[in-house]
Amino acid sequence: MIDIMLILYVAIGGILIGAGVHFMPVGGAPAAMATATGVGTGTAMLAAGAGMTGLITAASMAGQPVYIIALAGAVGAMLMMGITMLVANIIYIYGVGIVPASSKVNVDPITGRNQEIYKTPGTEGHGVPTSCFVSGIIGALCGGLGGGLVFYAINNTISNASFVGTLDPSFATVLAAIIAVSAFFINSVIASYNIGGTIEGFQDPKFKRIGTGIISCAIASIVIAIFVILMVGGI
Amino acid sequence: MDPVTLGVVALMGAAATIAGAAEDIESDIGSQSNPNSQVQLAPQMGHLHRMINKAASGEPVAFGTWCGVAGAVAFILMNFNILPIVAIAIGATIAALVHAIYTTTAHMGRIVGQSQFQQPLFMDVLTQSLGPIAAHGFITSFCMVGISYLMIIPLNGTALHVFPLPLLAVLWGVTVGAIGSSTGDVHYGAESEYQKFTYGGGTPVAIQGDIVTKAPLGAKNSIDVGNFCVKFGGPLTGFCFGAIVFISTWITVVFGTTGGIIAGLIIVVLLIVLNDRLEVSARNKFGPYDEE
Repeated sequence: MIDIMLILYVAIGGILIGAGVHFMPVGGAPAAMATATGVGTGTAMLAAGAGMTGLITAASMAGQPVYIIALAGAVGAMLMMGITMLVANIIYIYGVGIVPASSKVNVDPITGRNQEIYKTPGTEGHGVPTSCFVSGIIGALCGGLGGGLVFYAINNTISNASFVGTLDPSFATVLAAIIAVSAFFINSVIASYNIGGTIEGFQDPKFKRIGTGIISCAIASIVIAIFVILMVGGI
Repeated sequence: MDPVTLGVVALMGAAATIAGAAEDIESDIGSQSNPNSQVQLAPQMGHLHRMINKAASGEPVAFGTWCGVAGAVAFILMNFNILPIVAIAIGATIAALVHAIYTTTAHMGRIVGQSQFQQPLFMDVLTQSLGPIAAHGFITSFCMVGISYLMIIPLNGTALHVFPLPLLAVLWGVTVGAIGSSTGDVHYGAESEYQKFTYGGGTPVAIQGDIVTKAPLGAKNSIDVGNFCVKFGGPLTGFCFGAIVFISTWITVVFGTTGGIIAGLIIVVLLIVLNDRLEVSARNKFGPYDEE
């Protein structure tokens, strides 16, 4: 029974991680030169950074119910994304001298502010406007929840595995963390391929690809769960 | 709320601030992050340069590796009853050596790849930048392993975290790399590399690769980049990482498990409001883009 729960939790976790990556406003290398809207780093790298913070906060709640672990992961990831996007905007505004502006929409869908007239000609926008910021927070929420769920499920399964009995008690936690990190990287890289480099968040036309990304992440996560079951001597 | 734990959390925040700033300056000097694309593109656009380009790996993964090396060595030495601070210093030194080897091979590989565009490999550029790169890497690894150590020492019988030292060092290393890449490196990519263009605009695609190659005296080099970015991008990256480490731990130490989650959510809402006010302030201050 526990194995079915593992597959379910890891699949849901993977779906949440994959969906979360689609929400993150990532401009990649062009954003690092203020040539594109979003945070100036790679999709998988930013998602992994937020996910690692989420994993550290989630694991600090080890032993608590699943919803506490998942929520703690979500809060950690949201804090990381929120502070990072805010500081990135401070650098864009005061260091580079630009106004955050989106290129995918003429008007910010949340604030209703005009984007076009604030955009530098020849660029695909720059900075992190409010709608992208909120989208990034939603992405971190999904990613953190997913990472927390994956960690909880794998930690629970490995802790109950027969071979762990003779080993150090922290072994299960460490192994669960390593596999959860791997699951996070796998799902965020799959989502990153689906996005194809850069995305502004939910207002970007590329966001419509989220369905394909979710299905791919679910399949990959089920394979990860089966791998964990085999590793702990199950089936 | 235990004052000792709170003090340790504050110390972690301070160490994280130093680590974040050092990480950003290291990646600026070595062009480790996304702005490396412009350093790589410049020779093709006819701009030969004296810059380091060692971006053979993503910044988060690279820093995860170096902090992991430092953490693993320190962890092993501590098990031999070596004083923790000495063990961490030795671990960070080994990581700095690995870092220097990586820098040398990655820079040579990337620059040699541009030889078809007549880009020379300047050995003096490599030798003068290697020290600052390894030194900033040492500071980062030392602080990151220090933070991880503070998280695993039993405070009043309980440690702040269940993960072992090397794993925490890897996870924090990946995080600091992601943060440095997302924040401080923008100051390098969008401003330092294009300082000859007017302040107050993004970088149009048409001028990409046309990076600054001259300094006030002679050719611009990677040390000039560090000197520029340490005045704004570096400290802000340090502030960002310090705030993340401090706040994500502080909320649970002060408010407990459930209270900490609620406090975290309130802080996230405050961040959204702060960002909105910042955007409004920028719009009022700069106004619409004016091509004149």
